[in-house]
Amino acid sequence: MFALIVQRLIISIPVLLGVLLIGFLLLQVVPTDPAIILAGPTASQAEIEAIRQQLGLDRPLWEQFGLYLLRVLQFDLGRSMISNRPVLDELEATLGPTFELMLACLVWAIPVGIALGTQAARQRGQWTDRVIMAFSVAGVSMPIFVVGLLLIQYVGGAGLLPFQGRGGPLWTGAGLLHVVLPALTLGAVFIGPVARMTRTSVLETLGADYVRTARAKGASERRVVLRHALRNALIPVVTLIGLQIGFLLGGAVVTETMYSWPGVGRMAVGAISSSDFPVAQGAIMVLAVSFIAINLVVDVFYGYLDPRIGQR
Amino acid sequence: MTDAILAEADARALEALRRKNSIIRRLLRDPPATLALAFLVLILLGALLAPWIVPYDPFANSMRLRLKAPGFVGPDGALYLLGTDAQGRDILSRILYGLRATIGIGAIAVLCGGGLGVLIGTLAAYYRRLDTPLMRFIDVLLSFPSILFGLALAAVLGPGLFSLCVALSIAAIPTIARVARGAATVVMQQDYMEAGRALGLGDGALIWRYLLLNCGSTILIYATLQLGQSILLGSVLSFLGLGAQPPFAELGSMTADGRKFLQAFPHVATIPALTIFFIVLAFNVLGDALRDALDPKLRQ
Amino acid sequence: MLRPTCLATALLAAMVAGTPVLAQKTVTIVREIDTDRYDPHRSTARSNAEVMYMVGDTLVNLDFDMKTLVPGLAKSWTTSADGLVYTFKLRDDVSFCSGKKMTAQDVVATYERWQAPETKGLVKWRMGDLDKVVAVDDYTVEYRLKKPFSELLYQMTQYFHTIINVDQVKQLGADYGVKPFDGTGPFCMQSWTPRDETVLLKHANYKWGPSIYKNTTAQVDRVVWKVVPEENTRVTALQSNQADVSQYVPYWALKDLMANKQLSVSRAENYFWTFFIGFKIDRELMTDLRVRKAINLAVDQKAITEAVTFGFAEAANTYLMPSVLDFNGKVDKAMYGEKSVGEANRLLDEAGWKRGGDGFRYKDGKKLAPVLYGISGFFKEVAEAVQGDLRKVGIDLQVQLFDATVAWGKLATQEFDAFGMSFPYVSAGDALNLYFRSTNTPTPNRMNWKDPETDKLLDEGSTALSADVRAAAYGKVQQKVHDAAVWIPLYHEPLHVVTGSKLKPVRAHGNYGCGLYKGLGLEFK
Repeated sequence: MFALIVQRLIISIPVLLGVLLIGFLLLQVVPTDPAIILAGPTASQAEIEAIRQQLGLDRPLWEQFGLYLLRVLQFDLGRSMISNRPVLDELEATLGPTFELMLACLVWAIPVGIALGTQAARQRGQWTDRVIMAFSVAGVSMPIFVVGLLLIQYVGGAGLLPFQGRGGPLWTGAGLLHVVLPALTLGAVFIGPVARMTRTSVLETLGADYVRTARAKGASERRVVLRHALRNALIPVVTLIGLQIGFLLGGAVVTETMYSWPGVGRMAVGAISSSDFPVAQGAIMVLAVSFIAINLVVDVFYGYLDPRIGQR
Repeated sequence: MTDAILAEADARALEALRRKNSIIRRLLRDPPATLALAFLVLILLGALLAPWIVPYDPFANSMRLRLKAPGFVGPDGALYLLGTDAQGRDILSRILYGLRATIGIGAIAVLCGGGLGVLIGTLAAYYRRLDTPLMRFIDVLLSFPSILFGLALAAVLGPGLFSLCVALSIAAIPTIARVARGAATVVMQQDYMEAGRALGLGDGALIWRYLLLNCGSTILIYATLQLGQSILLGSVLSFLGLGAQPPFAELGSMTADGRKFLQAFPHVATIPALTIFFIVLAFNVLGDALRDALDPKLRQ
Repeated sequence: MLRPTCLATALLAAMVAGTPVLAQKTVTIVREIDTDRYDPHRSTARSNAEVMYMVGDTLVNLDFDMKTLVPGLAKSWTTSADGLVYTFKLRDDVSFCSGKKMTAQDVVATYERWQAPETKGLVKWRMGDLDKVVAVDDYTVEYRLKKPFSELLYQMTQYFHTIINVDQVKQLGADYGVKPFDGTGPFCMQSWTPRDETVLLKHANYKWGPSIYKNTTAQVDRVVWKVVPEENTRVTALQSNQADVSQYVPYWALKDLMANKQLSVSRAENYFWTFFIGFKIDRELMTDLRVRKAINLAVDQKAITEAVTFGFAEAANTYLMPSVLDFNGKVDKAMYGEKSVGEANRLLDEAGWKRGGDGFRYKDGKKLAPVLYGISGFFKEVAEAVQGDLRKVGIDLQVQLFDATVAWGKLATQEFDAFGMSFPYVSAGDALNLYFRSTNTPTPNRMNWKDPETDKLLDEGSTALSADVRAAAYGKVQQKVHDAAVWIPLYHEPLHVVTGSKLKPVRAHGNYGCGLYKGLGLEFK
């Protein structure tokens, strides 16, 4: 198991470098000159030049990237060009809320998705299956902002649940209440894929030899499904969840914007549209790193579910 | 002996063709899929014929006729079937023009991004030593939330249809590349690839003639599903404000523009939003049906 | 079936537990965007002003009529006959939130910091041509000018003149404007989470509020300024009591909000905030006066205003709001007021712009397609409407909108033909000096209006020692730019403050566009 983790970590390094490079290049070619923004509206050409030198913007690109990497390794992500706050502080303040939102979303969406998928597989071809599958396809096809708009309008508007911002940490009553609608919105587009994958996968395992053996030995249907089929069926589901986290991070950008949730996604949107390079780079990096980290965990979990993978 | 194996390969290809026919037949027996197909044909026709069938100029504003409900009849007796938007433009006409943009952007994304994805996927499967670097590259792409990527691109290129197309294309690469690689790896293990190589066929011919043609149907199915996803992502990016610029009509930006009137004049946002929903739904239902039809294990 | 019930029970429990006692004493104000920083000298954002007025004080305050000056930190003031020296007597009972006592030294230090080049302070012209500020004794300061500045006392009511604690500037260094601001206002800043919320607590020792309020101390314990970018969300929040106050309510919702018996809506009596489109008059497409006039005639302000603001704003046919100080009522309003597509077409034909096959106008192979820059958000609808009107006379307006933070940089360039803008002002002089001085190119004089006579008249107005001279000089400038059609005035925006059911109705102010001003009107029922 340990070897697997180390191996995956090593594989992640080039991916991480690639992410940093793309994030760096993308914001290098932005037409707005960061020096002009930093210098402020009343600066002279000489002042702008001075700032450019100070930032190292006059050096060749690869050298700038090297310096950027060095700074990142020392956890120095610079300061925001707009608010002058250290980027690390900004990230610290926004990462928590984003993870809270993701967690709240996953906590309900994964069990519900798996339960629905399993149920659909057990009742394959019957109306339960049809209804569940129809809903999951509809969920996948619904733009996330439509879900959000509807929930805000009809649930929030009726005064049932709060819909603006965060109420505090998740373990407080207000914090929990505030996260319900954003988590529902984000989860609504997440359940579909999970349910579908579970259904397919459970169907496959239900036909497998060991399940047949278990049945032949007289195990109850409930036991067959829960103990034998589901456990093995979960492997592809876990992979899918890992991959879907990327989409979820994207969905979080929209959800956070709609619910004024103070997370990384909303900060990134603001930073990119206002050419706040250090913040944008920091946010992109952190989101990408979380994605890589989550998939690392998924891989390890995978090895746990299916020991053969770990040994390979 | 190699001849025999190649003959078998051709026979397989023929069989695949026959299977395709049976897939279409099976598809037509599946009511939701048929409905989805019919809906998509209708939508495509509407998009193609938009300039000839729109009731009004989709760009002509009239501030005195703004935000009228569906079924509104103007002072001159003109009927606005789906009402008017915040600029007093006919929503039906804008939806028809918007379809062209929305579907067009999705299609371009799937063609460009999907094409690149297929190239990467098959190359990775064919040349083993390229596998790791190419797939790591795909991992890098996957690590970027596509929405952020789109936003960053918009910051670079300026918001507009071009950056939208680029962002969606890049977002489409990883999925298709993975599917193509998976399918191609299976084909690579077939005897006829070995035989073809033994016969002295070049890499290009092998990839084109055997690899791609045999993966074709799988890739096509995922491309159908991806088209739905691309349209969805495009609408989200437009919603965040980096899509079409005024007065251009595009379903995502129409929803975004109309959303502030959701309480008072819900039709302005809901009509384009529902249109997006149904198009994506149709693509998904169709893609699913195709996939089920292809995978005999899940049939029955 | 067990699961949903469990969930509901848990939610209900959380709901009961989650109604904190604190909520009773907290006023939640929702607004659209956050500020870039909390520093009176380094940000011109209205979001900065809103909080600065609550956590800080100025020497002079402005009454609800936006004309009467009332004492603030200064008990009284006198002006020398030559208009060069203003002497302020300060209150001696004022202290900062940090507990430090405020004296004349703080006033001196405040202006020294604003003037210092390393501060990179903005809008320094709002100080006038300041020589220096001198502390005569602990509670007397002299404000010494090099040239008379008739606007000075009005400018002093703007939040840029907030008295700061300079010790904090030294102590925080680069973090000044980022960490909570130390001021003398009715509230103290407790925390700021950018893009999310700013939390203010009642300033316990505060008793020096301006006499325009019934209470001179804060009546609520805690104020939270919450950033809610979505219009719908803000409206729903007010309707469902999740927010208590907001001035950022969309026009489409105003009628419903006014009809809602739970809420109260107050409209600022005298509010000066005008939307316009300016032309860069030295750009090739814009040099011809006939083209600029034609555009003005083609744009139907009345219809646009009626539609976009649901009839709540007043269509503009002058550059400034008629009730503003030194307004010139004699300018010819016809050009801006009456829409005439026929006359616009005639002028464009006469100027040599002929219609092409696509319906748009061309001259020497060049298309009449001016580029308009603006700030995304609300202006989009206005820009689109103008675009639609111009289409009808064969002008293909290219609209390019930018996010607010980037827009200011873009608007300082010479790449566009026209720009959309809205701005607050306290007097005609305030507005005219800002936009029409040749020294203010390229920004905020983005029209590139460089006219020696205008400059002379503006000098005359701003150094005038009598109100008549000042009004006459500013009146001439208004006539001049009006005739040159350098803007399309669009409409004068109203300001509405909506108050929720927990609070007593708040009277809307409007200084620098801030409806709550000092926040002393916030009070529970």
